[in-house]
Order: sequence, then C-alpha cells, then structure tokens
Amino acid sequence: MMLRTCPREKDVKELVELGQWSVAAATAAELRAHVDGCRSCRELVLATTAFQKARAEATSAAKLGSPGVLWWRAQLRRRNAAVERISRPILGAQIFALAVYLVLAGGFLMWQARSGFGWLTRLEGIPQATAVQLGSLWTSTVSGSIWAPLVMISAVATLALLGGAVVYLSSEKQ
Amino acid sequence: MAWEFAIPNLLARDADRDASRAAVPPMDDEAFAGFYERSARSLWAYLARTSGDPALAEDLMQESYVRFLCATRREEGEVAARRYLFQIGTNLLRDHWRRPRPSSIEEIPENFFARNGDTAQAESQMMLGPAMAQMRPRDRQLLWLAHAEGYSHREIAEVTGLGSASVRLLLFRARRKIARLLSDQQCGRRS
Repeated sequence: MMLRTCPREKDVKELVELGQWSVAAATAAELRAHVDGCRSCRELVLATTAFQKARAEATSAAKLGSPGVLWWRAQLRRRNAAVERISRPILGAQIFALAVYLVLAGGFLMWQARSGFGWLTRLEGIPQATAVQLGSLWTSTVSGSIWAPLVMISAVATLALLGGAVVYLSSEKQ
Repeated sequence: MAWEFAIPNLLARDADRDASRAAVPPMDDEAFAGFYERSARSLWAYLARTSGDPALAEDLMQESYVRFLCATRREEGEVAARRYLFQIGTNLLRDHWRRPRPSSIEEIPENFFARNGDTAQAESQMMLGPAMAQMRPRDRQLLWLAHAEGYSHREIAEVTGLGSASVRLLLFRARRKIARLLSDQQCGRRS
C-alpha cells in the first residue's frame, strides 16, 4: 500500500476539526472539487466528520462522578504505597532474624547430636525425683556439668524466641 | 499499623521526598477538580467508543484518574497532563483486552446488553458503531485519537507507545479501511 498524503490535507483537516467544513464546501467550490477528486482528502473528511460527531455526542452523554471521591481514593492509594514501601525493609529484617534463629537452632542441635544428648538421660530421672530432690538436682548438675542448665535455658529461650517470631510474622500477614 | 504513629513525620518526609523528585508539584484537590471537569468527558468518550462498553469506560476512567494522581509526572501544563491521562487510559484498555474474556454468559454483567442498546440509539453511534466494531482495537484507538481528539502523529506515538512512523502507516491503513466501511454503509442506507 502506497503511503501518499495530499499537500492540502492539513487545510482540510483544520476546517473539519473546526466544524467549518460544510460552510467551506458550500462556498469554496475549488476546495470541494479537490476533495471530490482526491481520495486521501475524501477519506479524511469522511472519517473526521464521523469521529467529530461521535465525540460530540459521547461527551454530552458522559455521566461524571465526583472528583472528590477519586481524589480521596488516590490519597488512600498513595498512603498505602508509602506504608508498603516502608514495610519492605522491616519484613526483610524479620526474615533475616528468623534465618539467624534457624541457623542457631540448627547449630545447637548439631552440637548436641555430636555430644550424644547426654543431658537428656539426666532429664529422664527428674519425674521420679521429689520436690526436695530438686536441690540435689541442682547440686548434681553443678558438680556434674556446669553446661547442662545453660544448654537447657538457651534451648528454651531459642524456642520461645522462634515461637514469638512465628506468631509475629503470622499476625503481620493477617 | 501502630508503629507508623510512633514515628509521626516518617510518612510526611517520604511524601516530601517524592514531591521534590517530581518536576511538577502535585495537583491540589481544587486544581484536580477543574482538570477533571475539563478532561473527563473526552476521556470517557474515548474509552467508551473504543471499547464499546460504557460501564467498562466508567471503571477505566476512574482508575485512570487515580493512577494519574498517584504518579509523579515530569510533564508541565494541561495539554501534557491530558495526554498523560490518555496514555494511562490507553494502557488500561490494552491490559483489559489482553485479559481472558468471560467464557460463560453468566459472567457477563446483567446490564451489559441493555447499556449497549441504549448507546446504539445515538445517531453517530449508528453510523460509526458498526464500522468501529469491524476495526481492530488498536486501530480504533489510533483513529479516535487522530480524528476525534485531533492529536498529531507524534502525540499519538506518545500516548500509545508506538513509533511515529508506525503510527503514520497504521493510521493511514485504518483510515482507509474505516472510510471504506462508512462509504459502504452510506451507500447501503441510500439504496
């Protein structure tokens, strides 16, 4: 398809867009004759007239809502976007903290596995012991191994922190 | 969230930083109301006539304005702002066409057909509607922007994201096709 434009197309377009085409066509016989003979200008007049008419009718038929509602929606969206932008590093920090806890817990379990979970055998004796024997448990652990209660406390603390982190993360998602 | 109130100026500072980054200060609500009054009808007409669905046009128009307000623009002046608005509308319309269509009749809104019937009453719609329906969506957009909005090839290229040379060629073909369809309709009506 040859892409050929008429040098008078610009003038014709201006007249049609200004709504002056019918007047111009009636008064300027030379221009009318040119448009009748020029395919490009004829198509331009036909298309632009139809679209201008359609635009005029469509714009008058438009039922506009309140700009205030749109303004408010945009403010809300901007605010949410800002909150999300700020929340992103916090979420990253939470994930990092969780990863550190998991690594520590994994390391602790590996360390305990290597030492054969010796403190677990000592824990088995606790249910049989009476309340009075708790004191002797303390002395036995102190005299036996200084590490056993420390290990227990750190394990419980790790679990508590992990649990807290999981609960916090899940509540944040909701 | 409770923590954002604990740091009161955090969001304000963030907004200030965004505003200073943009070349144009954001519109206030009064300026926006004026701009909306001047531009909404032509945007709605564009979206309604190129999509053929007034309800969809209403939704897309609202979304266009919300995105327009949220965006940090670099253009200055109402003409550029208007062009940017049409660009957002064009992209939203394109996204809509890319989405899968409803597969069953139950998924189509109840008032869809009724609304189409109402608009078909308009004289221009009776003339242009059938011809537009035979055009490709992109051609409908190009034709509307060129002949209804009076945009130049360069402006259409900005709005649609196409190259200026492509716009020229595509528009030339689309105009030829719609002129033929309109002529055929006129001939059919006369006979």
